[in-house]
Amino acid sequence: MQNISNLFEFQEENCKKFIDRIIKSNREVFIMSSLVEKQMCGYDLIKEIFSSCDVFLSQGTVYPVLYTLESEGLLHAEYSKGDMRSKKYSLTPKGRKIAEKEIEDFSKALEQVSVLLSR
Amino acid sequence: MLKNTIIGLDKILFDDIPKGSVILVTGAEGTLKSGLVFSMMANFLSANDEHGLYVTLEQNLESHLRNMKSLGIKEEPNLHIFDYRDMRQEWMDSELDLIKTTGEVIDSFKEKYGNLTLFALDSLNALYSISDPGDMRKKIYNFFTHLRDEELTSFLIMESAQSRMSGQFTQLHQVEHFLADGTIELGMIEGKGGVKRYIQILKMRATKHAMEKHQLTIGDSGPNILGPIY
Repeated sequence: MQNISNLFEFQEENCKKFIDRIIKSNREVFIMSSLVEKQMCGYDLIKEIFSSCDVFLSQGTVYPVLYTLESEGLLHAEYSKGDMRSKKYSLTPKGRKIAEKEIEDFSKALEQVSVLLSR
Repeated sequence: MLKNTIIGLDKILFDDIPKGSVILVTGAEGTLKSGLVFSMMANFLSANDEHGLYVTLEQNLESHLRNMKSLGIKEEPNLHIFDYRDMRQEWMDSELDLIKTTGEVIDSFKEKYGNLTLFALDSLNALYSISDPGDMRKKIYNFFTHLRDEELTSFLIMESAQSRMSGQFTQLHQVEHFLADGTIELGMIEGKGGVKRYIQILKMRATKHAMEKHQLTIGDSGPNILGPIY
């Protein structure tokens, strides 16, 4: 019984490791995906991705993505009224189009990888 | 790669700075440290299809650009400026390991722009003042190693007033001078004609350079280097 439980733990750990890698190396997609529904600051994004995926994206990997997406015109940033401490990001119309396409392509890619692996 | 980026730089630098060098730019406040570094980077990038990253801990993006504009230095699209304002406002300093975070910021920009070749940190003093002092020497050594591994020609700006302080900062500064490939000192000299700014290369590994102090002025398009100041 102990061995089976260890096996499950191992599988879970291993699965978590792959999810961690996938999210970290494709963080731009996950960041844009998180911003589809609502505007968020860097702090909110890190917390959101951690609570939904159990993956911690460090500050040094998230804020540069926000910076570059903003400079490319895909994100709009503003300081929220009454809270000058946090800069809230939202998708621009151009950013929303790109985000939707990226999410669709990313999901397709994952499906294809899954098919390839189950052959 | 940077020899011709500032008018008169060839008066003090006879060879080019080898790619991947880590250079300290030291001086008291008002000696044009940020302006000199930013100008060198912007001028280089305007003529090359490469990218640079200027990380500022002292000022936010807007105030930094305002200062550069006042010196006649143009903004360059391939020179990315990253400030820590938002990060530091949203997180407690104790939650941030800024040396590690700066390494991650570099990696993120490198990932985005493969040909990131120039890096500047403004300033090392600010980085120290908000970093956990534990294992600082080891962290700085690893940081320098990271810059070299990434083959980034790097400028680390350091306010020299603090080097006169006793204790940890003094020791750390000795480490940086030892680790760096080059040291450029900026300063001010008061003479008969008034106060003049100067630039002096104290050390530049694998590069022939002048030892004399040369006058540093501001022209229409940023810093210029004139003749020896003596």
